[in-house]
Order: sequence, then C-alpha cells, then structure tokens
Amino acid sequence: MILPSERMLPRLFLILLLAVLALAGWQWRNGAPLSANLMELVPGTSPDALELIAEQRMQEPLNREVLVLVGHTDRQQAIALAQTLGEQWQASGLFDKVQWTLQADVPALRTQLLNGRLAMLSAADREQLIEQPQAFIQQRVQALFDPFSGFSLVPNQDDWLGLTGRIQNSQPQRGAIQFDIGSGALVADADGKSWVMLRARAQGNAFDMNLPLQVAELLQRSRDQASQAQGQLLAASGLLYAASGQQQASREITWVGGGATIGILMLLLLAFRRLRVWLAFVPVLVGMLFGAVACVALFGRMHVMTLVLGSSLIGVAVDYPLHYLSKSWSLKPWRSWPALRLTLPGLSLSLATTCIGYLALAWTPFPALTQIAIFSAAGLVGAYLTAVCLLPALLKGADLRPAQWPLRLCECLLQIRQALLARVPTPVLLVLLLSFCAGGLWHLTTKNDIRQWIGTPQHLTDEARDIARITGFQPTSQFFLIRADDQPQLLERQTALNERLDQLIALEKLQGYLSLNQLVSPPADQQKVRQALARLPDFWQPLLDLGVPVAALQGELAQLQALPVTDIDAALAGPLAEPYRTLWLGPTTQGVAAMISLQGLNDAALLRVQAVDLPGVQLVDRLGDLNRVFAATQVSAAELKLASCVLIVLLLIWPFGVSAALRIVALPLLAALCSLASLGWLGQPLTLFSLFGLLLVTAIGVDYAILMREQIGGAAVSLLGTLLAAVTTWLSFGLLALSSTPAVSNFGLAVSLGLAFSFMLAPWVGRQEHPIPAQEDQR
Amino acid sequence: MKRLFIWLLLCSLSPLAQAFDLQQLSDQLARPEVIHGQFIQEKHLRALPQPLTSKGRFVLAKNHGLLWLLQTPLQQDYRITAQGIARRDGNAWQMLPNKSAGAEQNRLFLAVLQGDSSGLQRDFELSLSGEPQQWKLTLTPRSVLLKQVFNQINIDGGELVQRIELLETQGDSTVLRMLDATAAQPLSEAEQHDFAE
Repeated sequence: MILPSERMLPRLFLILLLAVLALAGWQWRNGAPLSANLMELVPGTSPDALELIAEQRMQEPLNREVLVLVGHTDRQQAIALAQTLGEQWQASGLFDKVQWTLQADVPALRTQLLNGRLAMLSAADREQLIEQPQAFIQQRVQALFDPFSGFSLVPNQDDWLGLTGRIQNSQPQRGAIQFDIGSGALVADADGKSWVMLRARAQGNAFDMNLPLQVAELLQRSRDQASQAQGQLLAASGLLYAASGQQQASREITWVGGGATIGILMLLLLAFRRLRVWLAFVPVLVGMLFGAVACVALFGRMHVMTLVLGSSLIGVAVDYPLHYLSKSWSLKPWRSWPALRLTLPGLSLSLATTCIGYLALAWTPFPALTQIAIFSAAGLVGAYLTAVCLLPALLKGADLRPAQWPLRLCECLLQIRQALLARVPTPVLLVLLLSFCAGGLWHLTTKNDIRQWIGTPQHLTDEARDIARITGFQPTSQFFLIRADDQPQLLERQTALNERLDQLIALEKLQGYLSLNQLVSPPADQQKVRQALARLPDFWQPLLDLGVPVAALQGELAQLQALPVTDIDAALAGPLAEPYRTLWLGPTTQGVAAMISLQGLNDAALLRVQAVDLPGVQLVDRLGDLNRVFAATQVSAAELKLASCVLIVLLLIWPFGVSAALRIVALPLLAALCSLASLGWLGQPLTLFSLFGLLLVTAIGVDYAILMREQIGGAAVSLLGTLLAAVTTWLSFGLLALSSTPAVSNFGLAVSLGLAFSFMLAPWVGRQEHPIPAQEDQR
Repeated sequence: MKRLFIWLLLCSLSPLAQAFDLQQLSDQLARPEVIHGQFIQEKHLRALPQPLTSKGRFVLAKNHGLLWLLQTPLQQDYRITAQGIARRDGNAWQMLPNKSAGAEQNRLFLAVLQGDSSGLQRDFELSLSGEPQQWKLTLTPRSVLLKQVFNQINIDGGELVQRIELLETQGDSTVLRMLDATAAQPLSEAEQHDFAE
C-alpha cells in the first residue's frame, strides 16, 4: 500500500538532488574549493584593522618562504651544492626568487652610509661623540692603524671621522651567519659542517592546495641529491607544515571515511543478509554532498579539517535508514513505506535534536566549529531527506529477512540488565555511577593550546630547531606594534621601548630585536649629532698629527652639517634597510605605525609588562590571545550545551510530556558526565574539543533515548535499533580518535566515550517503573 | 736503447720537477713551527702626503695563530686564532665581535702568512714566480665582491714571507714588511700563555 504522496516524493527529491548536484558542479568549476589555512579556523581575536595588517605582514614570510641549510663537511662543496640546488629551484618555476648569495651593491651601500652619517649612528656611538669627543677621536686614530678592523666600505679620505665604519659595525648581527666574501654565500659553521643558507620565496603561499606538496616533493628530491654528494639538507617553512598537514588530512579522510564505510557496509550485510540493503548508504553519500555544497555556499571554501571531522558524519547519517530497517525484526513482512510511516515521527525528532546539537556548535566563536556544524547539519538534512523520500522507493519490494543473532544478542543484554537490576536497584547503580564520575572529574585536567590543532611531525620541528640553533635566528610569533602621530614621535616611542627590551636582553630573557630606530634615529638626535660635530675641531688634533690635512677635515665637517634630516622613508630606500622594510607600516588613519620584531624569547609573560605605561605601544601575541580565547570559550561552550538541552527538552515536551522529555535529556547529560569522568580516569586532558564533542554527545544520545522510549516492536528490537545506530556512529568517531592531530583525536575520543555511555544508559529511559531520582543533580 | 729512453724521459720531466710551484711554497712556509719577527706597516692613503706608519712585533705559531703586537705610534696587541680576533684590554684578551666581512679578511691574512695556498686559491687567482729563496706571489680576486675591495695582493718572500702589499680599488694601499724573521726561537712562556688564554 503506497500513498499518492509517496509516489510523488521520490521524483520531487530527485529534482532537488539534481539541482544540488548542478550547484556542486558549478562550485567545483575551478578545481576543489578546499583550504588548508589553519588561521581560517581560529577565531579572529583582533577587530583592529592595523593589527591584522601587521600580523599578515609578519606571517607572510613564514607562509611563503623556504629556508634551507645546505650542509657539508667541506665548505666549498657545501657552497657548490647550494649553487646547484639554487639553480634547480629557480628552474622549477615554483618560486619567485631563489637566493643563496648576497649580491651586495657596494656603490649603493657606500652612498647610503655616507648619507646616513648623522641619522644611522648607533645610540652608543652617538653618546660617545656627544659626551667624550676626545675618546671618539682617539678610537678613530687607533682604527686607522688597526690592521684587523676589517675593510671599510667607504675609503678613509671620504670619512676621516670614521662614522660609516661605526655604522657598519653597529648593524644588528645576522645571527651566527657569516658572509663568505669569495662566493657571496651566507655560511654558518656547526656540528663539524658548513651550512650554506638558501632562501626561496614561493609563488603562492602555504594555503594553496598544490604548491606545498610540490615544494615538499622538490625538497625531497634535493635531499636525495644532497645525500648522494655526502651533504645534508635542513629545511624550515610554513609550506612544509602545510604539505604535511594536507598529506595527513587526506590520509585520515581515507582512513576514517574508508574505515567507517567498510565497517558499516559489513555490518549491514551481516545483519540484513541482503546486498540490496547497501542502498542504505545512499543517504550518507547524499548527506556528504549536501554538507559540502552548503559549506562552500556559505564560506566560499571548505577547510580540510572540516572534511576530516565531517567524515565522521557517515556514522550518524546511516542511522536514519537504520531506524526503519531495524523494524524488519518485528514487522513481518517488512515493507519499506509502511515501515517508514511507523518511524517517521521518531526520525524527524531525531533529526531535529541532532541538528540542534550540531548547530549549537555554530554559535561558538570558532569558525572551525561553525563550518563543521553547517556541514553536519546540512549533511543530516540531506541524509534525512534521502532516507524519507528516496530510499523507500529504492527498497520497494525488498524482502528483508534479517539475521536473528543480533536480536538474540539484544534480548540477552536486556536479560542481563534485568538480572543486574534484580540484585542492585537503580538508585544504588546511580550512586555508584556518580561516584565514578566524581572520581574521574577529580583527576580531570584541562589543556588549551593552539598547537593541538596541528599534528606536526617530529622531524619538521626538529629541523626547525636545528636551523634556529645553527643560524642563531629564533624568530618569535610575538611582536610589538607601535603607533604614533608622526615619524619623530614613533621613533621616540620605539626608543623608550627599546630601553626596556635592552634590559631583557641583559637578563638573557630575550636574544634580540629589530626596530626601525636602529636604522634611523629621531630628528632630535640627528640634530644633537650635528651640534656635537660642530664642537669636534677642538678635539681633532691627534688626526692632524697623523698628517690628515685640516682642509680635508673642515670640508668633511661642512658636508656633514649640510646633510638633511633623514626620515624613515629615505632610510628605507638603501640596501642596508632590507631587513627593516617589513617593519614599517607607513601612514595610517591616525598617524604612522611600525613593528618591532623579536628574537629568541624565553618568557612571553614578561613582554606584556614591557608595554605597560608606554603610550602607543602594544604587544601582539596571537598565539597567547588564542589560547586565552580557548579557555574563555570553554565556559561559553558549557552554557551552549545547557541551552541546547533546554531547547531539546522544549521540543520533546510536545510528543512525550514534561517528565519523559526531562528524562530523555537527562540520560545523555549523564552520559556526557561519565565520558568526562572517563577522560579523567584515562589521564586525557579536557580540551575545548572534547567539550565540543560532549555537546554533540547530548544531541546524538537524545536520539538513542527517543528510539528506546518509543519502543516500536518491543524492547529488544528497539535496543537492537539503538545498538546498530551506536555501532555505526562509534565506527566513525572511534576512527577519529586515531587521528594524529591532537584536537581531532580528542574530539573523537570524547564522542565515542559519550556514545558508549549513552547506549548503556538508554534502556533506563523507557522503564516507567524505575524512575531516575534527582535528575537535576546529574547535570 | 732502453736506458736511453729512460734518460730522455727523465730529461723531459726535469723542468717540471725543478719549477717552484705553489705546493712547494706551501710546504716551505708551513715548515717552521714558530716565527718571531718585527713588522713595519705603511698605510698609503690617497689623500695623505705621507703614509701612516706603524711598527711592532709579531709571533706566528703554526698550531696556534698570530700575535700582532703594535708598538708605535700606539701600543695595542692583537691575536688572531681560529676562534677569531681578540684585542688585549688591560691584562685580558677581549674577543672582538665576529664581523662577517672582517673575519673573512683576517682568515685571508692568516692564510697569506702561513702560505696556505689552498685557502687562497678559493678566492684568488694565484701566480707564482721566482725560486724558493726569492719568490713573488700575485693574488688577483676571483669573485665580483672581492674585486670591489682589492685590485691585487702581492706577496714577496724567501725562506719566509717578507713583504705583503694590498692594493685596494679605492686607490689606497697597505704595505707590510716583515723584518728579522726567525724560526729559531720556540714560543716563550708569556706567548704560550697569550695563545692559551
């Protein structure tokens, strides 16, 4: 018996499906709309536009540059190898720029040094010139005789006072890197090897889908080539992390998706003994399609992490067909449409509660979870629609003769439960369970760290650490943002901050920093230098004694007095300014802004203190901010969880009444509590992700409670339906727990534990003669 | 007949064997363990009528490095070792910051004095003339970078290095003359102490 509406439904649904497929095709017209940018997933903590620009500027090189150290016991071979690889990389077409030598433009350097004699003098040299002009001249005389002072770029007769030499020597050190004057290569010696630095700037960034993999492949070929020449490569780049993340994600999608699929198909075959029952997988596929389309439609792109977590949806989506397929144990003969009609209310309620659970995730400030929520909710709607509209038509005329063993197993389970309850009454069990929970919660620790989002392979972090050790470059993610009304004020503010940072360096809490005022001093200081120089003729007799013509010195002085005040823009034009250029943010709506980058930080908390009382100075610590947001979000996640429960209760009052609705929700909450306690007993930390996982448990657990409560076809059949649904869901979330990304695995673990408890507790929902006391206490 | 052939062969090889080559120079200069001597340094600056002249003593020890003891017109002691360059400050040696280009130049300086031609060949075109007791080595920079600093370096010597002349591109030049160099004396206790510190 088929209703007329049921004849129409499949056709209407097919039209919808075609439309969605067409939309998907259009979305994928330019290749997969996938993204691997981790930063898209974390909450935006700074609404400030300037801060965002500064952050992008600081991150850009991390995401685009590859830093390689080419090592060999023989320095010449290392240089030759770096050259060969550099040429190959240049020819690969993956990079804008490959650099392994420093091609110094000596005339341009000379010009910059000569023009910057007033503005580029370091604070210490400036102080000596102003306060101890005698010592200043004495040192100059000494330098003229010193055979080892290193060559000066500017000839002596152009700079009798030696200002350019002082500027040259006061430039911040390039770590432990030395300049090989013969080849122009940058070389560091460590571990009995010479390491030549090779830097490459990729054409795209780490968030391209293909580029990181291509770069990783090229690097691997270069590594092989180097080891054939007895050399060794060390590499660090955001691109490599991205490549490893992508490989890991695709591996895990295959594992989780493939594993869950095979497991579920086997389970279906074992239970129903008909190949045709595999059609029950159609809702899963349609669900995935709907999820992906909705995600791309809303966010423009889909993140690979959404796909990994979303692949767990397979286990949830297959529950809808299972709802009515499992009725084949009681309905004899089983016919698809009548079975659907019988289970439709429960099915719809289950969709509603699960969607509420998932959509609760969407209200968290985490784009990652919003995406997963949208993907899952849309996917569930797709799966539900397929299960309701299309699948019964596909299964029409199917003659299901399910295996009897699952039913016997469930009957057996119920008997065990009865036997248990006969000896130990429910309140005692509840007390035992609650004490288990109390003990577990006592052991529970929390941990929130952005690093949980990244399953970083050990060898990559090891190499990055080696590179930092060999080169002495230890860039930190924190930096200072300085704002001011104009350039002079900006430089003054930097000076104030640098005084504090110098103290940290003296205490070895910080290794170094790079700041614009190391390149150009404030106009007031430039003026002081000019005045001090005017007094110098009283002290320069020692130079005259050497035979330096007085006319030459006077000419030089006149030239120095005539030098204009150098501003930041002028200072940044020369070749010495290369490392400083990223620091300058230029004019903003409120004035000007610049950054100070830091090296080798030991204590992040100390940095925040440095900015106190300094106007316009702000520490930007994205990682720290994020970790704080994580911790704060835990609280709001708990609130969301309660809110979603209230919503589900309200929804369930209509079909079940108040007390039953409360009980249906109380059980999954208790399950979530047990899951939390288990994490404690297992020594696993509570993270934001496990908490979100528990949010989900409530939603799915309600589903089981409803199934048990409805008791269509008897307690054993209902338990069997719940068991099937739970096993399929376990399969997918359990596989997530094996992920090498801590966040994902934590999520999977929390959900699978919660589901196990939900299943075990589900039978209590329908036993009116065993009411559960004190439900409020279980929250 | 066979004997004649060998004789002819030997004759044809002998000019090669007799020519004074870089390897022989290296071996010759690397032989003494310790060299003591005086030096006179003249810095000829284009703009000065007379050179900046300084005098002092030097100690070159094969396994340690170089002590460069400037005595007039001012007193200043320097020490160059594999670790870098140090200046005597009161009684203690003070390591100077390892300025990349400066360190490279001092490596060259040490290579020149010790006759380490393999170290020099990397960066310079070497041409040697003369004989073991009177030779002249000319260094012409290979790399673009060095060419921007030096035109040429000339080294003259006999048993030991006697004169080094650095011709800079900007027109300045430095002449170092080593006088009374002797390989007879071992390191004194004070000198050993200076290298050990």
